[in-house]
Amino acid sequence: MPPPRRLLAHAYWILTAVLSAATIVMLLTYTPVEATMGPVQKIFYLHLPVAINTFVAALVVFIASIGYLWQRKMWWDDLAAAAGKVTVLFCAIVLLTGMVWGRSAWGAWWTWSPRLTFSLILFLLYVVYMMIRPSIEAPQRRAAISAVYGIAAFLDVPLVYLSVKMMPDIHPSSIALAPEMKLTLAAWFVPVTLTMAGLIATRFRLNRRLRAFEQHQAMTTETPAAANYMGETA
Amino acid sequence: MMAAFRQIVLMTGKDLRIEARGRQTISLVVVLGVLIIVVLGMGLGAGRPVTGFGATAILWVAYLFGGVLCFEKTMAVERNDDALAGLLLAPVDRGAIYAAKLLTNVILMFALAVVVTPVAILLFRFDLSAHPLGFALIMALGMIGFAAVGTLFAAAVSSTRLQGGLLAMLVFPLSLPVVIVSTQMMRRLFQEGEPLGGTGLATLLAFDVIFLVLSWIVFELVLEP
Amino acid sequence: MSRTAVQPIGSAVLESTPVVQVLSLGKVIDDRPILQDLSFEIARGRYVALLGANGAGKSTLLKVLATLIPPTHGQLLLFGRPLSRETTAFRSRLGMIGHGAMLYRDLSALENLVFFGRLYRVADPTARARELLEYVDLARRADDPVKTFSRGMVQRVSIARALMHEPDLLLADEPFAGLDAPSRRMLEQMLQRLHEEGKTIILANHDIEQSLALAEQALVLRAGRLIINGMTAGLDPDAVLAEVSGS
Repeated sequence: MPPPRRLLAHAYWILTAVLSAATIVMLLTYTPVEATMGPVQKIFYLHLPVAINTFVAALVVFIASIGYLWQRKMWWDDLAAAAGKVTVLFCAIVLLTGMVWGRSAWGAWWTWSPRLTFSLILFLLYVVYMMIRPSIEAPQRRAAISAVYGIAAFLDVPLVYLSVKMMPDIHPSSIALAPEMKLTLAAWFVPVTLTMAGLIATRFRLNRRLRAFEQHQAMTTETPAAANYMGETA
Repeated sequence: MMAAFRQIVLMTGKDLRIEARGRQTISLVVVLGVLIIVVLGMGLGAGRPVTGFGATAILWVAYLFGGVLCFEKTMAVERNDDALAGLLLAPVDRGAIYAAKLLTNVILMFALAVVVTPVAILLFRFDLSAHPLGFALIMALGMIGFAAVGTLFAAAVSSTRLQGGLLAMLVFPLSLPVVIVSTQMMRRLFQEGEPLGGTGLATLLAFDVIFLVLSWIVFELVLEP
Repeated sequence: MSRTAVQPIGSAVLESTPVVQVLSLGKVIDDRPILQDLSFEIARGRYVALLGANGAGKSTLLKVLATLIPPTHGQLLLFGRPLSRETTAFRSRLGMIGHGAMLYRDLSALENLVFFGRLYRVADPTARARELLEYVDLARRADDPVKTFSRGMVQRVSIARALMHEPDLLLADEPFAGLDAPSRRMLEQMLQRLHEEGKTIILANHDIEQSLALAEQALVLRAGRLIINGMTAGLDPDAVLAEVSGS
């Protein structure tokens, strides 16, 4: 990476780290402790921004998938792969924080409440997305199938939401937020969103470098001609 | 339009004729389905009657696994001897090829359901008498949506070398809404006596429409590199 | 795909329109250029041999010409018109024999032919199918499932399948592979007869001598590039072999 860009990246992450630290301090000192649940409730301020950002990352996968199928340029695939990784990571955090919350609020690590079930299914959807790539060798095939799944998975999300809402919800949770809480929540969105975007960008750049290396390999080594989709050599 | 419809019927007819010759796919799928029901029945149901809700979930497990096997096999027919190339060479809309495969899969899934459901009812003493048509409608809509997704991805992965398990992995999570909605609707219908609700049916229909349209559009793109 | 415009040559006079026109055609698969900058024309009624070593790009080129896979760069005109929405209509005018038979093994020869005939909307497909089975000398086995046939017989049914809709352009990808001598003879004669009937034939083949003997024109590929395009009468098999292997 050329020096100016590296400087920019460093500055970005330093800013994110500082904001994260600031919001954590804010959480510990400024934000009031919620009456019914106690200190554990504070995990909510991480949970909700991460949840929203999971959707944003999934949306990036969706858009990149469409982009690939439309233009057939490999960088769309690299972007989709990067966003997919971040989606899975963030979704795992949503799931875990949700479970911690649930344990504290209802005494059980797992309940089949709509929200937890939704997080679980979303997590599974995108874990599968990440599993596709290692299963297919041919780059164009891999990109095409991943793209189709990436589109299907995103379209599935509202359907999953509607379906889990039909499940019995024994533990509805709605918490009235005091103004300080709302402010904390808004503040937390900043470092979380920056992290999400930064992770996608970093992973994307890495994918591009990996692919450039693979392409160089393909061009310079004596290998038999690529098998086309009918499994025969040219 | 009519021409495309005729071609779809022609291609589905061809698939069903091949199936009728060997009866390979349908027998494998049905036996697998029944085995699953029996295994689950021994584990869950032995002795006490399982609720309608539970029976639906068990049926879905049988349909899911049987279905994936079915989709793999109907697509495999085209992979032998480059038969698919023969179809692609012809003046046939790629969407029509998808529709024909989907129709074949739906018919085979219905055949599976016709055999496996009575077995489940028998083993689990599930009482459908209250709303047999409601049950049939919910399951039919669900199976169509499941087949829509399954047909698309079966075509996508059938040309890759690593098949086994990949198709199931792709299709199961995407199909979860169908499983959840249909089991929940059954619960409301049979246990709580609520009439067939709007949301559930709407969700099932939305699932079917969304994935049918997506598959129709995208099918061509998964058939070529 | 680049949008360089190419005027279809002689489009007013159908008879003289080349069946195939290719300009700067390229195909990249998985970052590897399989076909590079191909430009050639094939006149109506020509019998063309497509030669080259394994991996030279013969199969890929045939598949592009058959509209099975789209080119990455360049332009392809079939029967004087570029590929577009009309691709489906083009397909009625071309037929292909490939590595795979493109048949359903569990169905009989007759059922296979009638199926494809109906797909191509051939009038009275059953009669045409029987006629073709006669032509390939398989009339007595019409109702037997294809899986009971020998390789040579399967190939003959495959040819019949390709001819059901009377295509103007026939593409053949190594049709002689795995055939015994009598079947090979029969196929050579069939192709010759089609050529005499005015069909355009593009035959991808390994056997250089055989190809130069059968065809009028030869296109030689090496590493995806066209290195020879000339009439076979003026070509020496040994020279062609040298070019093919790149020595």
